[in-house]
Amino acid sequence: MTTSKERSSLQERAKQRTTGAFRCLSCFKRLSPPKGATHYTCPQCNYEWRVAWFTPEEPRIRGPVWDSYEQLTQDRMKGGK
Amino acid sequence: MSLSRKIAFVDLTTGKIETKPISKELRRKFLGGRGLDMYLLYKHTKPGVDPLGPDNVALISAGLLVGTLASASSRTHVGGKSPLTGYVGSANVGGFFGPEMRLAGFDHLVIRGKAEKPVYLYLHDDEIEIRDAEHLWGTDTRDVQDLIRQELADDDIQSLCIGQAGENLVKYACIRTSIKNAAGRTGIGAIWGSKNLKAVAAKGMRDIGIAQPKEALAYNKEIINQVTSAKVSKTMQKLGTPFIWGVTNSTGLVRTRNFQLNQLVNADDIEPESIEEDLVGTAGCFACQVHCRGKYFIKEGPYKGTYDEGPEYTSQGAFGAEVGCTSKNTVLVCNHLVNYYGMDNLETGSMISWAMELFEKGILTLEDTGGLDLTWGNDETVIELVHKIAKREGIGDILADSPLEAAARIGKDSERYLVHVKGMSNLHSDERPTPALALNIAVSSRGSDHLRGRPAIDLYHLPEKVLRQIYSNPIPYDGPLTSDYRDYEGKPWQVMWQEHLYSTVDCLGICKYHTVFLGPNMPAYEEWANLIRLNTGLELTPEEIYRAGERGYTLERLFNIREGMTREDDKLVDRYHDEPTPLGLPVVRGRFIDRDKFKIMVDEYYAHHEWDENGVPTREKLEALSLNTLDKSGSEPSNLV
Ligand code: SF4
Ligand SMILES: [Zn+2]
Repeated sequence: MTTSKERSSLQERAKQRTTGAFRCLSCFKRLSPPKGATHYTCPQCNYEWRVAWFTPEEPRIRGPVWDSYEQLTQDRMKGGK
Repeated sequence: MSLSRKIAFVDLTTGKIETKPISKELRRKFLGGRGLDMYLLYKHTKPGVDPLGPDNVALISAGLLVGTLASASSRTHVGGKSPLTGYVGSANVGGFFGPEMRLAGFDHLVIRGKAEKPVYLYLHDDEIEIRDAEHLWGTDTRDVQDLIRQELADDDIQSLCIGQAGENLVKYACIRTSIKNAAGRTGIGAIWGSKNLKAVAAKGMRDIGIAQPKEALAYNKEIINQVTSAKVSKTMQKLGTPFIWGVTNSTGLVRTRNFQLNQLVNADDIEPESIEEDLVGTAGCFACQVHCRGKYFIKEGPYKGTYDEGPEYTSQGAFGAEVGCTSKNTVLVCNHLVNYYGMDNLETGSMISWAMELFEKGILTLEDTGGLDLTWGNDETVIELVHKIAKREGIGDILADSPLEAAARIGKDSERYLVHVKGMSNLHSDERPTPALALNIAVSSRGSDHLRGRPAIDLYHLPEKVLRQIYSNPIPYDGPLTSDYRDYEGKPWQVMWQEHLYSTVDCLGICKYHTVFLGPNMPAYEEWANLIRLNTGLELTPEEIYRAGERGYTLERLFNIREGMTREDDKLVDRYHDEPTPLGLPVVRGRFIDRDKFKIMVDEYYAHHEWDENGVPTREKLEALSLNTLDKSGSEPSNLV
């Protein structure tokens, strides 16, 4: 059973939600694109994402930039990563 | 008192109607909604009952909290033995019908027999009328609701209904209310069609009778804050369930071309943000602040100007990726047509994509299809097939049957290309890289189904500490849990936990989007204990509520076993094991479900449930859940009703 202590930690966790960021779908790094950006390239794995904003502060991945997606994937797969 | 609502037994053959109270004991055991329906299904059908015969039941129920001061307490459950699978038939719908049914004085309806001519039921003031519906037969799901309102001269009437698909016994016809709310899965609409039951209308004026109204209102405010502040809710408010598409298709987790691919490349036109451009607003269900349902007018083609609601993620999959179509218009038109005829969009798209693969492989020819070219991405054909299925015309008559029946009719190894579990098609997601999600669909009680036990948050890469906080409440768990969605470890526990969670909210009548389904910080058992107490006066601990959900789920398992299900049915089709994913990001590419590890997961899943190695609940478990008076002859779990 959830104790009140655990319960408050649930609420704490909810308060600590990160805003302004999403995780890269490829490497899971948390990314914070500049406000209003429509594209963002992950500095860790180089995938370029098209970005949409579901509130003025909160971005999400709209989709990949398909042109580079397949090549990047093939390169990574060849590299055994 | 909100607990004073009754069960009504309606015999359409004889016209006899009987009402009974619901005992507190039954409430404590099954809560209401889906759980109590499963009890009624088990008790009021005989083993081997014909799903489309008069002895099957059509169940309708409101969840325990429906119509109260609990947020998103809108859900109605419908059930029976499924004509699609031959196992548990069960589906859940939002909108406004459930609250209206409770206001009219009823919580559960058990409808059996078959009316000589089409009828509809009218629930009001603690009464039920069986009314003539001959003039309504043949109408679509919108007209019938409008005509009933006109006939009874009351614009506030809410109805559940079937469209032409239910009348024509399409095996995956569904129950509808409002413009697009659907109790979509397992073919309950065909049960209604077989009984000549066109609709059930309700208008209520009775007070719900909240136990502690002031406190309930104040507490509900907290719940609303918790729900609406979640990222997932904000996203849903803007984009609806299509938001899932952006992440899953970008990763390579969308079933495409009947499982030949796992991604629809360059499908920008059907991305959520593109669909949003066509929305003119959003709509919601009773007592919901999220409003996840888009409203749109079709912008081009023969259906230009037609209003509808949605689409859901399922329609993007069904009429986009699965059939290889990249046109938003096709998705919006087909979404409209399944709403109009009253069919499950998921099953419709799956049957069409299966036929397309058969066409590609030469198993179906132009002669079989009546000249229809079933090439991938042929938008016109996809739209035409939706009409043909609903009307059971030409090839549509075969595709209107269940997947396994259709495969038997076509023959020629066509069954090999079905993507199903227990005879129900899979959601248009690709679970090959995600063992938890694969296990979920394989073991689900109503056939392949993400809404029975999907640990969708497994995709979020949450830290183990967070997972542990979620998955060790209200029942302790100290086994493995991992953030990597490709792992096999710990996933059986997550699946079982989610099964009980979804079973519980379906008993309460609360929307799943307000639970730990898509968001990790959503209300769960402790909040529900408070909501139940403040709204109904019933004192239940979080663990008792969890056990009630478990009891209902276990009863579904027992029903399926009674109807012939074995461990053999808890499986995935071979393609999950034999064909690695060809597309997507490196994390998901080349993935498949390892047979040996999958078997271990099923074993662990049974063990967590305290079922034996054949998936049969142990005597000890049944005793612990007070279900031990069941036996193989299908006798009743108790004599409570
Ligand atoms: S979240 Fe959507 S489906 Fe759920 S109750 Fe709200 S409007 Fe209805
Ligand atoms: Zn990255």
